[in-house]
Order: sequence, then C-alpha cells, then structure tokens
Amino acid sequence: MKIFLHSLKTLSPLLILVLLFACSENSTEMTFDSSKLRKASQEEVDRVVEAFIMAQDGEVIEIPAGFYAIKTQLILDNKSNVTIKGAGMAETVLSFRDLRTGGEGVKLVGNNIRIQDLSIEDAPGDGVKSQHSDGITFFRINVTWTNGDKSKNGTYAIYPVQCKNVLIDECIASHSKDAGIYVGQSENIIVRNSLAFGNVAGIEIENSDNAEVYGNTARDNSGGILVFNLPSLPKPDGIGTKIYDNDIITNNHVNFAMPLGEDPNGNTVTMIPPGSGIVLLAAKDVEIYNNRIHQNKTVGIAIANYHVTGFPMDAPNWSPFTSNVYIHGNDYQRSRKIPDLSKEMGQLISVYNAHGKGKSQDIVYDGFWDKSLSSSIEGNPMNICIQEAAMDKLRFTLFDLWEGESNIKSSKNPGFFNCSLSISTDVSSLSLAN
Amino acid sequence: MRIRYFIPFFFSLLLVFACSAPTKEQDKVIALPEFVDFQAPDKNPAELTLDLFPLANLSDYGFFKGVMRSLIPNEGVLLYEPASSLFTDYAFKSRYIWMPEGTAASIQADEEGTMDFSEGTVIIKNFFYPMDFRKPEEERRIIETRLMVKSNEQWEAYPYIWSDDQSDAQLKVIGGEKQVSWMDEKGQPQVINYIIPNKNQCKSCHNIHEQLVPIGLKAKHLNHAITFKDGTHNQLVKWADAGKLSNYSAVAIYPTMINYQDQNQSLELRARAYLDINCAHCHRAEAPASTSGLFLTYEETDPLRLGILKTPVAAGFGAGSFTYDIVPGKADESILTYRMGTNQVGAAMPEIGRVTVHQEGLELIKQWINAM
Repeated sequence: MKIFLHSLKTLSPLLILVLLFACSENSTEMTFDSSKLRKASQEEVDRVVEAFIMAQDGEVIEIPAGFYAIKTQLILDNKSNVTIKGAGMAETVLSFRDLRTGGEGVKLVGNNIRIQDLSIEDAPGDGVKSQHSDGITFFRINVTWTNGDKSKNGTYAIYPVQCKNVLIDECIASHSKDAGIYVGQSENIIVRNSLAFGNVAGIEIENSDNAEVYGNTARDNSGGILVFNLPSLPKPDGIGTKIYDNDIITNNHVNFAMPLGEDPNGNTVTMIPPGSGIVLLAAKDVEIYNNRIHQNKTVGIAIANYHVTGFPMDAPNWSPFTSNVYIHGNDYQRSRKIPDLSKEMGQLISVYNAHGKGKSQDIVYDGFWDKSLSSSIEGNPMNICIQEAAMDKLRFTLFDLWEGESNIKSSKNPGFFNCSLSISTDVSSLSLAN
Repeated sequence: MRIRYFIPFFFSLLLVFACSAPTKEQDKVIALPEFVDFQAPDKNPAELTLDLFPLANLSDYGFFKGVMRSLIPNEGVLLYEPASSLFTDYAFKSRYIWMPEGTAASIQADEEGTMDFSEGTVIIKNFFYPMDFRKPEEERRIIETRLMVKSNEQWEAYPYIWSDDQSDAQLKVIGGEKQVSWMDEKGQPQVINYIIPNKNQCKSCHNIHEQLVPIGLKAKHLNHAITFKDGTHNQLVKWADAGKLSNYSAVAIYPTMINYQDQNQSLELRARAYLDINCAHCHRAEAPASTSGLFLTYEETDPLRLGILKTPVAAGFGAGSFTYDIVPGKADESILTYRMGTNQVGAAMPEIGRVTVHQEGLELIKQWINAM
C-alpha cells in the first residue's frame, strides 16, 4: 500500500493514535490453564525427546498427561506411519518456553504422520511445522502462546509447508504473531472444524493447490481467513481454494505483527487491517460460500491484487492478479465499530470507500486488472463473480487505484460482477482416509 | 583491609537485590574437574563392525590413539579442512574422515563437486575451545565430537559429548548444554552456554531432499592445500595419492571456493563464501529453507534469489522492522544482517549452532551489502 502512505499519513496522525489506544482490541484468552498440570520430571522429558529421535516406522509415540518443559526441538525425521498421541489437549502440554535454539518446537517429516490430543505452548518461532511430508494430520491439537505481552509470541502455530495431503481437524490455534493455521506451498488440503483466535491471521492458505477450508471458526484475529500467493517461491502460484460453512466473526484484534506505531515490514501479514474477515491476495480460483461473516469492523471480504503491497512483482510462473473468484450465499453482518485506521489498507477502506467515510464494508475489490486481457474492467477480465442474496443491502466498493494516492476513485456495485463460476477442488480421498 | 573489600561487596549485593543487576547464570564460571589422561584402548578402525554402531564411547571406535583428549588420529584416519568454516560459537574444530580399506570417494560432475562415499565411511568432527585463544596450541577443552556414518546407503549422525574430565566422549542422542569459558584474542574472558544439538537436529543443516548428507566434503570445499604430517598438499591430490579418491583426474578442473577469512580475496567472493558455508546448506532449492526462496550458494547468480530487494515469506518477527532481505548499500536495513545479528530464538540465523553473534562474519556481510 505504499502508494497511499503519504496522503493518508497526513490524514490525522493524532486521530489514528487515539483510535489505536482507545479502540484496539487485544485478547490473551486461554483455552485452559496449563500451569495447573503436573510437571513432568527431567527423565520424562528426556524420554519424549528420545522417543522422537529413536522413532521407527509404524510406531505410536504416546505422551502421557503432564506439563513438559522442553529445551530442545522434537524432530521426527523422515519416518512413515507414525502417530504422536497425547492424553488430550488439556492434559498433555509440550512447552517450548525454554527452547534455546531452533526455528520451531516440533518438526514432523515423513509419510502418513499424525499428531493428536496434545497442546504445544510458547515456542519461540513456530509451534509445530511439517515439511516435505505426504500425509500429515493434525488432529485435536492446541497450539498457543501464554505470554501476556503478545509481542513475544511466535510466528505460526500449525505450519505445514511443502506438503501433500494435509488434514487439520478439530484443532485450536491462538495468539500467533502471524498465522494461527498456515498452510504453505502444499497441495491437497483440508482445514476443518478448527478454531483460530487471537492471531494476526486466523487461517492462511498460501501458494497452495486444492484446498478446502470448512466448518471452522475464525474469530478475534486481525484477519479471519487469508488466501495468498506470494512471488519468487519454489511453489510459484497456488490454485483452487474453497472456503465454506465457516464462522468468520469479530476479527477485530489489533495487528500485533509489528510493534505499535511501527510501519509494516516485508511480511505481507503486517499490512492486514484489523477487522478483516477474508482477504484474497493474488489468489487464483477461490470459491467462498455459505459462511457467516459477522462483525468484522473493516471489511467482510477483501479482494486484492499484489499491487497493493507496493512490493516488486516480477517473478516467474506467478501472477500478481487475483482471478476466478466466486462469492455467493454468505451471510453478512456489519459491525458498528469504526473501521481500521492503523493500516494503509484500513485507511483506504475507511476513508475512500463508496458509501461514506468511516463505514465498514462487506466486500471490497481493489480494482486492479490485467490490462493485457482487457482495456477496461467492465468486461470483468479477472472473473470476479459475486452473487449474494441481498446485494443491494450490502456495502460493496470497487476501487480504482491505478492513479495512486493522488486520485483514488471508488464506486458502488457496478453490476458487472454478477456472474457465476465453477471452481473445482477435490479432497475426497483425504477426507475419507481420515 | 576488610572494610575496603566489604563496601564494594555490600554495594554489589544491593545492586543484585534492588535492581536485579545483570548476574546472568552463565556469567558464573563453573569450575572444571582435573583433566584425565585416559589412554584410548588399542583398537583398529578397520575391524569395526557397522552392525554394532553406534558404540557407547568415542574411544570404542579406534579413530584416535594414545591419550584420548590429545585426539591423535590413528593409521588411515585422514585430516581434512574445508576452505571456509561454519561459525559455531567460536568453537575450534578438527575434522577427519575414515574410509574402510579398499574403498574410496568419488567426485560427481555437478557444479559443487558433490562427493560419493562408500559404505562404512565415518566423518569425525571435534569441537573444542582453547583456554586462551591467543595460545591455541596449549590447554584446551573438547566439548563434543560428531560422527556421521554411511551405512545401508544412508548417513546417520551420532553426537558424542566429552566428559568434564576430558577422559572420553559418550553417545548422547538427546544432545545437551555445556558452559564454556575462554580468553578471547583480545584477552577478554568469554562465557557461553554451548548447545549440543540432539541427533535429529543434525538434519536441520545436513539435509538434501530430506536425506542426511555431509556439508564440507565437496570438491569445492576441499580443493586447496593444507598441511599434513608429510607436508603441504592439495587435499584432492592427497586423497587420490592415498587411493581414497577413485575418479580423480590431474587434468580436470574441479570447483573451488575461497576461505572467507582470506583478506587477499575480493569482498564479493569472501561474502559469498561466508554465506555459502554458513547458510547455503539450508538456503538452497534442495534443502529445508527452500520455503523462503532465498538461495545463498556460492554458485547462485540470480540477485532476487540472493535476497536483493526480496521480501520475506515466513520470517515473522525475524524480519525485524525491515522490508527486504538485502537492501543494496544499506546493511542496517537488511533482514539478512538483522537475523545474523540477533540471538533471539526464532529470529536468529542460522537457526541452530550458535547462541552468540559472529561479529566478524556479520561485519563482512555488512561491508558487502554496503558496497553494493
């Protein structure tokens, strides 16, 4: 959003500060209190570390109830058909508060790996990461941070990357400084029946193919559910995401990815304005339907192109444009709160929307399109289709940002997005297998 | 006399209790027991049985003879040194390789000169700290010895931790932590809590396509002369002469990388060599940090992949307040130097292998970026 930096900064720094301090919402809600659990002895902790190291194909690693303070990483190294099983997410807690080195608390690599019924707390970097796995299931795990000061929290809670056949089911991810549930550069993905709260981003699907996100609750994050494609990655452009039957509510948490008052850094999530329900960024083939999108103070669904980041866009096998989007049958409830003014995208929506200053929006589209396909947006060259029941009652804004900050234009629903699309995903094998 | 001592003592107490002055645990140097001159049992590595690996004690292998803590290599245990060395909290390292009799390594044709090794090959790497870095040949303390063993067509890593009395090292797969103190080159006392990685953490670095592999044993790292007992030789030539390099050709041109500490080399090559040996084991297309799209091998030529004006992907707070991995001319606004310069777990790079900042390495990379 570099293009808006200047004009919006001069808007009213004082007002922004006042709003930041007065209205920003912060949550340190805990699902349960792990401090009451029995502390595992050093021998018990060492046994768990050894169990991961000595694991054999086909093994079930059972971790009894207790609070395990672990100073080293738990790494499962390229094994097959291994299950890691605690006594329940409120009974078995792996705490990485004392971890001295390593990017994540738990790392799982292999085929048909399953982790279930436990909690992971306070990893300095990521909670649980899985890489290069084919068949990775996260079932009934809770990954969180217990710091009162959330600026100390880690990056991702549940983090499969470069994986195939990913199932995240009945999990809880909270208070991560980036995304609670983050699936990156993967294919064949289900995220279902899970809860993400108190994160900067609740659930994020990035550079991934063939994903279904359903039956989840994403609440009290800065942004509820994100579908992004970032440039210059080994997996260039992700295609095919369905988001349905989710509760995406009150995602008004302050964006704590950066310290208060600091500008965003190079991580795109630092730009997400608090009060965002769903955000698409350079996303391809996305269907959003039958969700309850309630009380997100800035915008219900934001359709954005990579242009808004202001970052370089030259990358092979990747397009900065969001295309082939079908939004239909969702239920919207606007918030009466003042939309976000802490982020540039929030300022853009708050100030320049087509319905009046300070009015929260149901759907916005930043209005960039691929000019090699069409000379105007009126032919809907990027195939953005929106069919909602009471379209006339929704607040929809189409921006025109081509001329930058000096001449920001916006219009209400122009009608040419009224179309339907067929988006195909197929995760049936994954769904049945588990 | 007494009073003069008492007052400062009292004051320091006050400071400790009133203001919680920095009395970090690690600043209290723990006294070590007397070192023990344990004689290695008379063993011949040629008689080792792979099926019995790993053995409980380092001395059980017979790689070293005489007093264990002197680390005198046995017959056939070959010294090697990569041109540039990975930073591990200022630890000194000595490296050896054992190849079973009648076997030899071979060099592949790729741009790094990756090497293949036979069944039963063992790579031995000792990590130690001289008590006084100004006298590295004098008293030292060995912390750990890592073995990498080729068996069943794959490598396995086994960490051995030296006992505090320095008699021998024992296998400990879960790793550990040791307080280490030394006098640095400037005569300043240093204390750190050195982390010995657990067995599976080895693969955080030694990882190509999720297979454990050696890092320093490539032609590009070995294609230079070092001092052996019988004089100074190029390591590849030495190996070939010893029958330990099967496909060596005297007329072939093998890849080579410089020593980043060599002041006679260009800043560009020094910085790239530093990034290669410290980062590129992970930051390459075939390794774990491929997720980032940041590739730091000596051979990489794409500016974006090298991080120039490249935004991060999953860096989280590791990005600090910065936008790009490298901002040409602005080292202090680059994520690369930020992550090298912090000890915060989750932000510090490399992710494992250090709890201190490598000031000299950081300075080199800053110079390189500032000169862009």
